[in-house]
Amino acid sequence: MPLTEHQGSSSSPSPFSFGRSLLSLRRDHVTMPSGEEADLEAFQRHFAASLGELLPGEVEGGGGGGGGGEEILSVAWIRRLLEAFILCQEEFRVFVAQARRRGALPAAGEKLVVEFHERAVKALDVCNAARDGVDQVRRWERLADIAASVLLAPGEIHEGQLRRARKALSDLAVLLVDDTAASGTGGVASFLASHRNRSFGRARASPSRASLTGATSATSSSHFRSLSWSVSRVWSASRQLQAIGAGLAAPRAHEAGLAAPVYAMGCVLHLVAWALVAAVPCPDRSTALQAHHLPAAPPRAAFPWAPPLLTLQERLAEEGKRKDRRNSCGLLKEIHVLEKSTQKLADAIDAAPIPLFGDREADVREAAAELAAVCAAMRDGLEPLERQVREVFHRIVRSRVEGLDSSMHNAD
Amino acid sequence: MAEDGEEKLLATVQHIVKTLGRTDTMTEDILKVFSNYDGRLSLDKLYATRAAAAVAAVAAAGGAGAGEHSVPASPPMPPPPAVPPSVAVMPAVTSLERTVRTLDRQISQFVTMDRLIWADSADADAFLEAVDDLIGTVQELDAAGTNRGLLDRADELLSRCMARLEDEFRSLIERPDDVAPAAPGGFASDESEEEDYDADDGYGDEPIPIAKPVSDFDVVIDALPPGSVSDVHQIARRMVDAGFGRECAEAYAAARRGFIDESVARLGIRARTIDEVHSLPWEELEFDIARWIPAFKMVFRILIPSERRLCDRVFDGLAPYGDLAFVAAVRTQALQLISFGDAVSAASRAPERLFRVIDMYEAVRDLLPDLDPVFADPYSAALRAEVSAVCNTLGSSIKGIFMELENLIRRDPARVSVPGGGIHPITRYVMNYLRAACGSRQTLEEVMEGDLGAVGGAAIAVDPDRPTSSLAVHIAWIMDVLHKNLETKSKIYRDPPLASIFLMNNGKYIIHKVNDSELGVLLGDEWMKQMMSRVRRWSLEYQRGAWAKVMSVLQTGGPGIGSLPAKALLQKLRMFNGYLEEICAIQSEWVIADEQLREDVRAAITDSVKPAYMGLISRLKSSPEAAQDLFIKHSPEDVEARIQHLFEGVSK
Repeated sequence: MPLTEHQGSSSSPSPFSFGRSLLSLRRDHVTMPSGEEADLEAFQRHFAASLGELLPGEVEGGGGGGGGGEEILSVAWIRRLLEAFILCQEEFRVFVAQARRRGALPAAGEKLVVEFHERAVKALDVCNAARDGVDQVRRWERLADIAASVLLAPGEIHEGQLRRARKALSDLAVLLVDDTAASGTGGVASFLASHRNRSFGRARASPSRASLTGATSATSSSHFRSLSWSVSRVWSASRQLQAIGAGLAAPRAHEAGLAAPVYAMGCVLHLVAWALVAAVPCPDRSTALQAHHLPAAPPRAAFPWAPPLLTLQERLAEEGKRKDRRNSCGLLKEIHVLEKSTQKLADAIDAAPIPLFGDREADVREAAAELAAVCAAMRDGLEPLERQVREVFHRIVRSRVEGLDSSMHNAD
Repeated sequence: MAEDGEEKLLATVQHIVKTLGRTDTMTEDILKVFSNYDGRLSLDKLYATRAAAAVAAVAAAGGAGAGEHSVPASPPMPPPPAVPPSVAVMPAVTSLERTVRTLDRQISQFVTMDRLIWADSADADAFLEAVDDLIGTVQELDAAGTNRGLLDRADELLSRCMARLEDEFRSLIERPDDVAPAAPGGFASDESEEEDYDADDGYGDEPIPIAKPVSDFDVVIDALPPGSVSDVHQIARRMVDAGFGRECAEAYAAARRGFIDESVARLGIRARTIDEVHSLPWEELEFDIARWIPAFKMVFRILIPSERRLCDRVFDGLAPYGDLAFVAAVRTQALQLISFGDAVSAASRAPERLFRVIDMYEAVRDLLPDLDPVFADPYSAALRAEVSAVCNTLGSSIKGIFMELENLIRRDPARVSVPGGGIHPITRYVMNYLRAACGSRQTLEEVMEGDLGAVGGAAIAVDPDRPTSSLAVHIAWIMDVLHKNLETKSKIYRDPPLASIFLMNNGKYIIHKVNDSELGVLLGDEWMKQMMSRVRRWSLEYQRGAWAKVMSVLQTGGPGIGSLPAKALLQKLRMFNGYLEEICAIQSEWVIADEQLREDVRAAITDSVKPAYMGLISRLKSSPEAAQDLFIKHSPEDVEARIQHLFEGVSK
């Protein structure tokens, strides 16, 4: 059963094609294999289409992906990725249900279904870590926004406002340093490095604190001690990703039935988990990126969804390797912009003589406006993203709770 | 109030104090709150255990200081110049300049101070006053807009004040006791009845208390002494007034998190990943659940509401910064506790987990309505939604576990037969399981109805005690599955009558268990009638199957039919003896577990066999050809006695 035959000929996927295959299945109930084949083909086609839509527009425009205009690893893109995963999972659920109804799911097939669900459960911790990571980014945004909005207040910029903005930025720097450290990244971005030991924060302002706690340097970092992950401290994103990808191998040609869909789901699950870990801060994140814990590449020719998946993986890996992103706390585009804008604002403030006037003031204002815009975009995007991460989480839990991994559920 | 009830409450309170109070002064304060709680606790009672010396010290300290502290006796600074309260009339620029210069001098002394300003309430008051003046001055200058240089200076000064205030703010929250007890007048702006208890040795001599079950959650903990709360509020107000509300909220959350983390840790809760929960042996997980349930209640009923109260007091009138600060402070620990519920739900659907998951579900469900006032603002709505969601998930999990029971019954293979056709372990397991589950039938019904969206308020009162309720239908379904499984199992007996005995035994056991519990109400009379008629049918099937050839041998023809020759009658007698031996040999190993049923079956056999046997013997005796030395091996009474020994399960 060479699956490649279907690959080229597939018409544009219609939402009804699945139903159509069901109808034809009912019509000639005797020829069961054809029904299964049709289901499988429809499943793989939808799968390929869902992934194809995630491809950025500028890459491989022909693949049926419009790209949707979102830049890869932007908040909007991650949301669409999660959306696609939810869709695939739903299709998979229907596919399994149909196979069961046909009685075409032997014990080996059921074992595969259980295997996938076990794999999916391993992604739950990634979802939790990603939720915390998103919340962490929101905290950065709040501090950055203090700095930006202070400088955008109507009227001239005073020394007091600059001082306040500097303090907010230095608090932010402390957070970023902490989070970067927790992520396991070796180096620290230049902005962080330059701000880390800057003393315009509270350390100088309050010797009292220093004398109380004994150590000046410890004061500020414990002050904004950042990560209180709700996942346990020893948890490691990279180990988790490894567990999710463990034993994920392309089925051999003779393995019919569920082998291919289960493999497809495993691949996309791994990809989604990897993208989440890459995008937002989470414990031991950088190891996950360095060690290239990307899913093993599926054979390009064997599955219609393999090419778009591979392209996505390659793009994600490229993003991770980019020089300006390597030491970032997250590959999320918005984080990158936040870091850049924060750096720019910090530079503008540093360069500003007191009192501010003319070009210098304009520079500061411009940088502040840029940062404010980033913050506004984050405020709008991060909350829905967090909700969607939860949605994925709950769907995985629900399929466990409702026993969708159990063959006996509908059998009688 | 009954004396023992009061004792229990006191124990509860002391337990909470032990669990959550970090320092003696906080302990004092918590005790104080408890002492006002519902008038049931008096200070005397709570302090009865304390050393008399401590009490004496208290009295000494309390007498003098508790007056008004807002005006320090001797301000260390020159009194600040009066600032015109109104800006309607433009004050002379020079006067403003003078004001700023004075404030600068004053404030610089504070801002560079090497110890906490709030360590001395007089300093604190003076500093606050200066800050107020400065805020007023900045506003004035800003409104006038004429003296940029001066505004710059004032603004810069203000931001230095704010940075210092933030530090003081954090210190007061994180280490209130570094400040409070230093001087007798530490509680600067306390109400006059506030007394300063010396908490020197506390409970130091007491053995480590054993955690008693906490049953009364209607208490609030004050982690900060009221004096500190008031101080902290004063600072928060200045920061918000000066436009530093967000910084203040961040600082608050950062300062509180340590306490919250530690409180949860003290409840014996440690973070577990879902993966860990997933791979944990059930015994260990059960242990974790047992710790989680009280911890969850403590956190969501006491700790978080207390945090809300503290936050509301610190940010009194300063919305929405209080809401922001509150969520940021409690979020992580709340989510971590919630996450455990998700993890347990997703871990496994093994039936033995049902009861612990029900416990978890009930704990979450019961506190949901109480969360509404705590999570009322839009910032914490997401947390409220998470608690709802985990409640739903636990509910679905209960449903799933119940379904899984069904699957397990269905899948239970018929490999080995129970000797003698006795009660199968699965029957015992299922019936005892269902009986136990009936103890939680209100919850089960709620979950089965699937109306989990309703868990927001008080759950809809569902009446599970009717055979048409979802739970009842489901249990009837499980019984059906069990019945089918038992029928399959009965097929492995090669002896069909033994299969009937097996079904009978299990049927009778089921009936017994149903009648003996609330299951009867759920399954209803109709089901019971059906079940009883089944058992009767199996009994008849047994009799027919096991005794048919005996009965046919005993047939001597009806009264109208001509008599059989004696030879044939003797042949029948021999055959009967043979059959009887055979049946007794085999069936004495068979079992009828229920005594009454055993009697009934024996009686039924006796009733049909004995008269027929007597008939045969009398025929034989009255037969003209009968030999004089006719030997009758068994008297009818012997036969009856043999029948009475059947089904005792004795092996030869």
